[in-house]
Amino acid sequence: MKRHLTLHNDIQEVPLLASFIDEVAEACGIDMALTMSLNLAMEEAVVNVMNYAYPKDTVGNVDIDAEFADGRLTFVLSDSGTPFDPTQAGTPDLTLEAEDRPIGGLGIFLVRQIMDHVDYQYSDGKNILTLSKNIQTINQ
Amino acid sequence: MNTTIKEQNGELVAFFEGRLDTAAAPQAEKDIQPLLASNGKNIVLDCNALEYISSSGLRLFLTVLKSAKAKGGHVFITGMNNDIRNVFSMTGFTNLFEFR
Repeated sequence: MKRHLTLHNDIQEVPLLASFIDEVAEACGIDMALTMSLNLAMEEAVVNVMNYAYPKDTVGNVDIDAEFADGRLTFVLSDSGTPFDPTQAGTPDLTLEAEDRPIGGLGIFLVRQIMDHVDYQYSDGKNILTLSKNIQTINQ
Repeated sequence: MNTTIKEQNGELVAFFEGRLDTAAAPQAEKDIQPLLASNGKNIVLDCNALEYISSSGLRLFLTVLKSAKAKGGHVFITGMNNDIRNVFSMTGFTNLFEFR
């Protein structure tokens, strides 16, 4: 199973990503709870690119390739923006009181919580983020 | 995504309906302004019809909580589905809010 989606760096296109993930999950026989988690991880990873890869007011793309093989679902995100390694982001302190919790910094953390492997490479002028998860499908 | 705010029994209740994703967050942020402007009233975030939340939505919830706490108010969450409960658990948000 392989699928591809190209989005612009426009957060209003996030619902297109959600439909794409639903379609991928359905093709793989993934249950609804896991589909929601995958949706969340992918939204966070893709929004990170949309918000930070390209200079403000510059139109750019983010490409998303999905592949399901040998019980593993892999998403590859690529963009031609500024080199940025989201895997270097710090881990938020979840024990802080509300007053002390920073407002942001949860996106990439959620990606790492949900996916089994998150790997970043910069190659041929592209940021390439590979996210994968081992999947127990209903059919297995 | 729809956000409606009503005053009920002296509390401000925000009803969230649909998907609170990054695309929906800017409008939701405008819609919750009355919660941030309130002076110490208790606030209820009604999530019975909330289907999905991402970090953009969590950010709004935390903003409401910080604002309420600074004025001595409480923020209660009601009606979260299991998927959203799981997101709260993963991010430590379960410990921040009061639940009904």
